[in-house]
Amino acid sequence: MEVFENKLIAEIEELQEKFTKTTQKLIKDVRRQDKIMIRSDKRQQKEYDELQVKLAEVEALQKEIEDTQKEVVFTMGAIGESRSKETGNHVKRVAEYSKILALHYGLSQKEAEMLKQASPMHDIGKVAIPDAVLNKPARFNEEERKIMDTHARLGYEMLNTSNRPLLKMASTVAYEHHEKWNGKGYPRGLSGEDIHIYGRITALADVFDALGSNRVYKKAWDDDRILKMFKEERGEHFDPNLIDIFFDNLDEFLSVRDSLKDI
Amino acid sequence: MENLTIDETKYTPNIVLDAQKGLIEIKGKSYPENTFEFYKPMIDWVEEYFKGHELPKTIINFEIIYFNSSSSKLFFDFFDLIEEMSNEGKYIEINWIYDKDNDSALEAGEDFKEDFEKLNFVLSEK
Repeated sequence: MEVFENKLIAEIEELQEKFTKTTQKLIKDVRRQDKIMIRSDKRQQKEYDELQVKLAEVEALQKEIEDTQKEVVFTMGAIGESRSKETGNHVKRVAEYSKILALHYGLSQKEAEMLKQASPMHDIGKVAIPDAVLNKPARFNEEERKIMDTHARLGYEMLNTSNRPLLKMASTVAYEHHEKWNGKGYPRGLSGEDIHIYGRITALADVFDALGSNRVYKKAWDDDRILKMFKEERGEHFDPNLIDIFFDNLDEFLSVRDSLKDI
Repeated sequence: MENLTIDETKYTPNIVLDAQKGLIEIKGKSYPENTFEFYKPMIDWVEEYFKGHELPKTIINFEIIYFNSSSSKLFFDFFDLIEEMSNEGKYIEINWIYDKDNDSALEAGEDFKEDFEKLNFVLSEK
């Protein structure tokens, strides 16, 4: 007996075959997708790690550059000071005093920090002053005084050729740290706020430290004498605002002086 | 059949499709903004090429130094097409070229080789 197979079965079988093909392709695709994801995640992680390493390298380099700059600037200041028979700590103290004055005056943290680094270079021009003048154990005559006073302009000229903000700042400091509020300073006889705040600050910091230190040619002044003189020079040698800041925060200056004593 | 060249950009590879030489070459980085759109002209060209324009031997050179995951997906699809052609009896040789320092490129090549075991797939260090 001949059996007639239902035509539907053939159609269903065809469907089944198509369905199997399609599901197989889907399974293959899903597997691939998963593989791609795993690879991609792994790659991203690796790239992230590499990026972190590179970033750390850049940061280390950046710090290296900044540290080098600080060191060079500080060393230049020390060279200037060594020519004028100052001790190493003088430079450090002037730096700290300048920063304190800058912050209380209202300069930004960044600018105050820069001034701390630039102020030690105020005497760099002294490297160009002849030894015979610089090391003279007695008072200068008029001619020698003139030569000595050129150190401010010389320092400015040395540093002003640079385009680095820190050295530009240092050139201003070198140029104007012997100007006086009343216009009787040098080299240009500027007065009041025509003297850059960097110059006014460094002037005060430098004098305060010089008076309180022993030198071959003089003994350190005692504090009473220094403070009296500072009061008298308020609005004369020094910016009255800065003198007020100085007296209002005297303990800060004294604690810097204590922590950076000359040995 | 006309050849097709797509110049390299910051995000996309240089593509050279040369029917006279039987050469398909993809070289560079692959992380296009729209991967499927970018590769469509290439896929179209390859489909057209294998409709009777192909040489007895076709060489495919892949030298991908960096790629995103959608490129990876696209390359799978591309090799699907190549496998289909190969099954139809076309002779195709694939060179996956990688730099010895580029682990990702090597791993990707190994994945493709493993997935398309019937293809003549050669991993070649530069």
